[in-house]
Amino acid sequence: METIVTRPVVSCCRQAVLSAPTSSRLVLSSSTAVPSGIRQKSTAARTRKALNIPPHGSFLNPNSSAADRNARPTTGQIIYNPPSSAASVFHTPFKFLPKQDPRRRANLASELFAASTTINYPSPTNNPTQATQPDSTSPSSQSPTDLFPSIEGEPRYRARHHLTKADIEEMRRLRAADPVANSVQNLSLRFRCSKLFVLMCCQAPSGHREKVQAELEATKARWGPRRAAARDERRARMGMLFRGEL
Amino acid sequence: MKRLRIDRWTGQLLLARSGPSPASTPRAAALRSAAVPRCTAVRSQSTIAVPQIPKEDDDHHYDGTDHTRFPPLEQLPPRATSLPSPPPERALQSAKLAALHARLSLPERLPLQTLARTLVDASADENPQFSNTNLAFVGQSLINYHVAEWIMCRYPRLPMSIMYAAMKGYAGPTSLHQVARSWGVEHAAVPGGEVDPGLLQFSMHKPGDAVIGFGYRRAEADGLKKHKWRHGMSSRVVFDDDFGEVVDTEDAKDELRLRADAEYGNEYTRSLAEKAYATCARAVTGAIYAHAGRERAKAFVEAHVLSRTLDLSKLFVFKKPTRELSLLCAREDFEPPVARLLSETGRLSRTPVYVVGIFSGKDKLGEAAGSSLEYARTGAAMNALKSWYLYSPGEGVRVPSDMLAEDAAPWEPAYIDMGEIIGH
Repeated sequence: METIVTRPVVSCCRQAVLSAPTSSRLVLSSSTAVPSGIRQKSTAARTRKALNIPPHGSFLNPNSSAADRNARPTTGQIIYNPPSSAASVFHTPFKFLPKQDPRRRANLASELFAASTTINYPSPTNNPTQATQPDSTSPSSQSPTDLFPSIEGEPRYRARHHLTKADIEEMRRLRAADPVANSVQNLSLRFRCSKLFVLMCCQAPSGHREKVQAELEATKARWGPRRAAARDERRARMGMLFRGEL
Repeated sequence: MKRLRIDRWTGQLLLARSGPSPASTPRAAALRSAAVPRCTAVRSQSTIAVPQIPKEDDDHHYDGTDHTRFPPLEQLPPRATSLPSPPPERALQSAKLAALHARLSLPERLPLQTLARTLVDASADENPQFSNTNLAFVGQSLINYHVAEWIMCRYPRLPMSIMYAAMKGYAGPTSLHQVARSWGVEHAAVPGGEVDPGLLQFSMHKPGDAVIGFGYRRAEADGLKKHKWRHGMSSRVVFDDDFGEVVDTEDAKDELRLRADAEYGNEYTRSLAEKAYATCARAVTGAIYAHAGRERAKAFVEAHVLSRTLDLSKLFVFKKPTRELSLLCAREDFEPPVARLLSETGRLSRTPVYVVGIFSGKDKLGEAAGSSLEYARTGAAMNALKSWYLYSPGEGVRVPSDMLAEDAAPWEPAYIDMGEIIGH
């Protein structure tokens, strides 16, 4: 009897999580390389042809011969092809498992040979139907570093712990002497440290702080109702995100 | 609202309550007589069958009911209306009690009289020999113990605030109120000796002075409430109750209590009802422990309290999730977390969607979708932190009370986490 499972069940959530990066990789590659002479779907025939995509690999017969591989399976088996969904936070990543956890011990061997056991990144040459089947024992040549771009820029200065006590004293003296010329940005460039470190070390004189605050207030007073409301809403949305309501 | 004309009502309770009271303590008797006028005010709206007192020689106990207009539904023992709660021997005649006993599959050894006593709140009967205070204290301790050890072994990395929230979600007054309601427990409008013993009895007008939990009254409690003073987690562990909430006194609710007479109900009366239902649920647990033993009580707690669904991932609130995550990675010697764009769509449209994953080295820690890169990154960091905090050794994790069984396997130490992330 053929059974088609359309709703995800708990025991199979891992597979759903694992198969998620496949589609995302495809989206990325198609969006980055769009040929200029792309053919539009201007007619019904072209649209029908474009939408006529082969079924997902889980709907096909994996073990049969090449001739009837595309036929629907006739034997009784469960077809599991859930819709994509967000990863559950109750599925602990491999790295977060404690040392004595049996799941960590069970996956440790595959961790040694594979790039990652948390997610298995398919190589671009793989068949997409094959890629949905996670194979954590096979090593993957690609790492997330070269598959996915980082959205955070590289930090300008890494912590090198090169500043001495005299340097910090000098930084404080400069900041107190002329806070306008020796701004946080300028000090960070001059001492080759992060702006956060400058802020940790020294504080502007109170007169300068009041002046900056007054300038900010004057700027805010110039905002109309739309801009002020937009900023309030943005702040409220961030609060909702932190509370898990978004 | 129409003026209440108390003098025109049938003075059944007014006359009955003024008689000699069976309660031993004079303080209790004084309290009860002070509460009489309020009780009659709600009494007139009661849908409970008006009971009958057999005619006695002294008309001191004549309740003033017109028995031709209101024929008795049930033969009451003498002076039943003068008691603050139904006499225990009436428990055997109550169909509601027998039904509740059968519905909860309570053990045979738990008699109906004890079940009737679990339904009498301390606000209805001050005498601790007839109210459920003592049983509720035992039950509260048992429920909180089992819930706390289960949460601690099942989710060993929960921060203390989330632990408190989870405790309250499982065993707090609101949850136990729902549990008792789901049992089909109904309450009498006004407590008294003549009402059905199968009804929960509590007073809407006085809270009762029953102590059914641990916790100290803080000296600075007024300032905490009025000025919102900061009180840290350590002081909550020491001073406050089992759910980390400041032990409050009833003084602050005087104004609400006064209004409770005039209004149909306000948040004060609702909190009293909630408290009475929760106390009843605790008292039933305590009664099972007293009559049927530890194992049955534990099974009861697991079946009625721990079996409820509580999504722990909804309890979290973060302030700076990305910073907290990098602190965690630094503490655990992981590579620093990097947010990477997994996929995106509609970047130039009105409704873009970005899927961002947070990676530590080659391992993905969390993933989230958002309408901007910043939202998606923050959400991914929150998901990563949640999956750290919600680590669980497994569903069938053993708890220390499993060792109390006779043929328990040797104890393996439970996983203890080093603590929550400091610095956020």
